Amino acid sequence: MGNADLRTLAALSDVSFDDVAGSVVAVDAHNWLYRYLTTTVKFTNSDVYTTSEGDEVANLVGIVQGLPKFFEHDLVPVFVFDGGVTELKDAEVSERRAQREKAEELKQAAEERGDDLAASRLEARTQRLTDVIHETSRGLLERLDVPVVEAPAEGEAQASHIAKRGDADYVGSEDYDTLLFGAPYTLRQLTSKGDPELMDLEATLADLDVTQEQLVDIAILCGTDFNEGISGVGPKTALKEVKEHGDLWAVLEARDAYIENADRVRELFFDPPVTDDYEFDTDISPDIEAARAYVTDEWEVPEAKVERAFDRIEESLVQTGLDQWT
Amino acid sequence: MFKAIVSASTLRDALDSVSVLVEECKIRLNEDDLSIRAVDPANVGMVDLTLDAASFESYEADGGVIGVNLSKLEDFVGMANADQLVELELDEETRKLNIRIDGLSSTLALIDPDSIRQEPDIPDLDLPAEIVLEGAQLDRGIKAADMVSDHVRLRVDDAEEAFHIQAQGDTDDVDFQLDAEDLIDLTSGTADSLFSLDYLKDMNKAIPKDAEVTVELGEEFPVKLHYRIAEGQGNVTYMLAPRIQSD
Repeated sequence: MGNADLRTLAALSDVSFDDVAGSVVAVDAHNWLYRYLTTTVKFTNSDVYTTSEGDEVANLVGIVQGLPKFFEHDLVPVFVFDGGVTELKDAEVSERRAQREKAEELKQAAEERGDDLAASRLEARTQRLTDVIHETSRGLLERLDVPVVEAPAEGEAQASHIAKRGDADYVGSEDYDTLLFGAPYTLRQLTSKGDPELMDLEATLADLDVTQEQLVDIAILCGTDFNEGISGVGPKTALKEVKEHGDLWAVLEARDAYIENADRVRELFFDPPVTDDYEFDTDISPDIEAARAYVTDEWEVPEAKVERAFDRIEESLVQTGLDQWT
Repeated sequence: MFKAIVSASTLRDALDSVSVLVEECKIRLNEDDLSIRAVDPANVGMVDLTLDAASFESYEADGGVIGVNLSKLEDFVGMANADQLVELELDEETRKLNIRIDGLSSTLALIDPDSIRQEPDIPDLDLPAEIVLEGAQLDRGIKAADMVSDHVRLRVDDAEEAFHIQAQGDTDDVDFQLDAEDLIDLTSGTADSLFSLDYLKDMNKAIPKDAEVTVELGEEFPVKLHYRIAEGQGNVTYMLAPRIQSD
């Protein structure tokens, strides 16, 4: 997931929620949802989010708990969902699947041992976005009038595209790949406590004194979601060599190395499958009662579990701002 | 250049009106007056304050802007008794504010004005109803509303020519009715808006009980509250954005 090596290269700064209040954030929906899903599952008894039919909807608890963070700071989230899996990412997806299966085995072993704590921790690692999660996440967001965009492929590529076109002020993602997709500004840590972290593409390029293309080449050398990097090459070496030789091909030639599909991976970052065919209304007027009923009646989440979060959503949305009158 | 002498009570009234909304603010040291305009981080409540040069014992300024931490400044000014004079002087070189009260002198480090939230634009509002009442009456209505709810409805009944401060809780209701003869003045018009008590309580705290408060009100519009301080030489205007009425 993501490319943590990029962290050492990225221009990051802490910002306060005040600084970003009033802006539109194109959120990499899977990335965001995944965080809340694993936290919910880790700290909640599974009865709470399992319906009488046996469907697991921990995502609904996660969404109502995650949204107040946006609304209370006067941010409008636009959730950008992944479309199909990019073919190149198959390797990563099957690796994640293998990890899930491994966690599942360990979880069963832990249950048999009677180690509940270990079991619930492992349960969190077995989470994936099921069809029910896809359906109910959209169902809930729709009732809350939170904008949703369906990406043709990668959500973070589409979110970056929306920000590049100026239809969003920031991309919201915990990953660093948004830099490679050309997102001008990314807000990180929207799912954690405290202030967000701002990742600035232009400042990153200026600090490193490289072009956007060179940054992508550096990432490919270190390894991305779509390719294995060259063994032993970290961000510092990659930066140095790309600057020295000019681009990926020259570095590979100098090292006499080979990266599978390198041309396609490059192409994917430079020209990812994205669409201009989206529209959303950032004026949110949610039907809180319908959303509550959807979560507690239709999907049987106990009211006590989501009551406070819904109250926070309601409270943060009924208060208008003075900027509406200037 | 800035050098002024002012009574502690005037300065405190002025600073209190701003500190209920924000921690830090810019102070404009204009030639003829001192002014502050600030909005809270959520953009819900705004204050616009002017203290004319005439409200000072002496006042000299040439249009500079300083940034201050209000609670620190209030602490310093709080060392004075209400009737004592506070002497303020800006040290341009160190960018510090020297504060002298009788024999006590203190130095307040200033904040870079560029690091403070931008001063807000003032909303352009044409509000149909105007109610003039005593600070104590407003205080009574707000306290009553606070007993039952976290928001309050301000309403003018055009037909009966009365101002209502109302609140509806989960189980209990209050309605404080002020007829035209109870009020200092009433310009009747259709006006009905809902406000967060969190904000209104804070603003109310800063409004002197004996002040004459002018409330401008509309239909689901921000409310404007103004009152004068410093024996009429200073003016405070609050603006508060409404909540959306659900029913």
